[in-house]
Order: sequence, then C-alpha cells, then structure tokens
Amino acid sequence: MRKLLAFSGVDPERLLLKWVSSAEGPRFAQVVTEFTEKIRILGPSPLADSRTAKQPTAGMASEAS
Amino acid sequence: MIEQVREHVRKLLTDGQISAFLGLRNQDGNIAPHIFEKPEDLDEGFTLGDVEGRPPARYPLAKLLMTIVSADPDKKFGILVRGCDERALYELVRWNQLPGAAYRFVKVGFACPQELADEHECRKPFPDECVAGEKAQPVMNASVKEIDAKALPERLEYWSRVFDRCVKCYGCRDICPVCFCNVCTLEENALIRTGDLPPENPIFHLTRAAHMAGRCIDCNLCTEVCPAEIPLRTLYKKVAEIVQEDFGYVTGEPGDAKSPLNFLGPDPGHTSAHD
Repeated sequence: MRKLLAFSGVDPERLLLKWVSSAEGPRFAQVVTEFTEKIRILGPSPLADSRTAKQPTAGMASEAS
Repeated sequence: MIEQVREHVRKLLTDGQISAFLGLRNQDGNIAPHIFEKPEDLDEGFTLGDVEGRPPARYPLAKLLMTIVSADPDKKFGILVRGCDERALYELVRWNQLPGAAYRFVKVGFACPQELADEHECRKPFPDECVAGEKAQPVMNASVKEIDAKALPERLEYWSRVFDRCVKCYGCRDICPVCFCNVCTLEENALIRTGDLPPENPIFHLTRAAHMAGRCIDCNLCTEVCPAEIPLRTLYKKVAEIVQEDFGYVTGEPGDAKSPLNFLGPDPGHTSAHD
C-alpha cells in the first residue's frame, strides 16, 4: 500500500500499519502519539487542498480548454 | 488463421467434445460474444474479432464463461482464447470462480499479431497452446518506468489530473475479466463517498488498484474502454510489480499456487453459494 501511495505521488510516510493487541492500551497510545507527531512535522497533505478547494467541475473545465 | 480456428472448433463440436463454443460473432459489422451451438453456425459471422482498419474487438470472454458455466452445469464449453483470456481463466480458476474447471471447458487458443502486442504492451501475446497464429514477441513494461522516473509531487500532479477526468462509469470494473465480487467496495458509501463527480480521488482509483493486487492479468481492457482515457493499466501494472516484489506472485500463470491475497480461502475447486 505504501509503495502504491508513493507511485501515485503521496508520501508513503503518511501511512502507518501497526498491530496492537487490545490488551496493549499504553502501546496503542504511544503509537498514535508518535504518528500524530510525525504527521504534524510532515504538514498538511497535498491532497487536503485539492479536495477542499476544488469545485466539482474544475477537472472537466481544464480538460475542455 | 481464422480458417484453422474455425475448423478446429467445428471438429470439437462435431465430435461432441464440447456442447457449445463461446466465441465472437460479426453481425452486420458489429462484433459481440456469441455461443455457437451447431457446427453449421460457424459459417455465419464467426470471427476472431478482426475488422479491417480497426483494432480487433476484444471482450472478457473468461468472465462470460463464468456465468455460462454456472447457468448450464451439465455442459462442457469451448472458449476462444488470446494470451490475456487464458491468464484470466487461470486466475478465475485460482479464485474458485470456475468450479470443476478442468473438465468444464476446452481452450481454443490463437496468437495475437505483433502490432496488437505492441499496442497493448502485452507481456505474453499468445496462450500456452495455439491452434493458429505466429507467436509474437512479448512487450516489456515501459509505462510504469515513466512514472517511476518522476518526482513525488509530479506524480501526484499527473495522477490528480488524469483521475479528475473520471466520469465514474464503472466501465473499468465491469469489463474487467477478474472483477467478480457480488458486493463492490466502489459502491459502498461508507468507504467512498457516492454521488460525487469526479469521484473522491485518489481514493476511488487507488481502492480499485489495491483490489487488483494479485488479480489483474494485464489485459488492458480497462484502459481500452475508459471514455476518459485514464491510463488505469499503468497503475495496475505497478500493483502487479509490488505483488511480485513482496510476495513473488505473478498472476495468470498455470499451476496450483494460491494467490497471496486469498491464501486464507478454500482451496481451488471449492465452491460456495455464499462466495
């Protein structure tokens, strides 16, 4: 999945898969905290702008021109 | 070439080795899949898909066979196969979609010409056994390397641009010879917002790409039918490359090996009403 993300231009560091047992509460908290911190450093996703700023017809209009 | 194939099929039908043959028929210039039941039917419109001046018409015959075989459990069918159709058959058998495969169908293979292999960047433009045609040279994968050569932001820019052309016709899924699920993630609102146009990108296309892992047999039908000319196949080729790197699995090969993504399921040959 990370390799596919990289191929489509999304930083693979933005995806994390970890197995945490339901009995490992503290570990879960630690994993999430660390990853949240990492994402904060990476900054907003380039996809976030495109999704919020773009009008539904933007893609079509640019295609026609 | 067509005469060799036609006579081969005629013999199979006459000898009673098959009850019917799933091939292509040209009716008034339109080519569509057809079930030939009698030897004399072969004299009317039997075609390999070629029409002068146009690329040959292709259909996911393997997928159609799936439906036909389950609807008519007592019959044995012949099926017209190119290299890609055969890969699809191998994969469908592996995913238990063609129960009793070995004694339910007979492949009638022919090799594609080099031009077609080049056009579709085909890795194996001929089935294992050919009744007719010269085996063309396989064509190596170049489209993935083009993307790999780009920097991360350029890749995103490229894919965002092509994905945004999507009109969400589901053509890629519907034509796909190995897309057989009864329930499709692409239509689940909880996972991908429905009703958006273009669809939620890149989620929509990456979801389909992820589902092609260990399945896509590289036939290029999706890219051929896409009205928005999205190079879907390039994406799925990359997925295939990843599956090969990480699991050592190549789709569409004969043998009993299970696909790495359905290794938990029942063994090939098993059928379930709830699949």
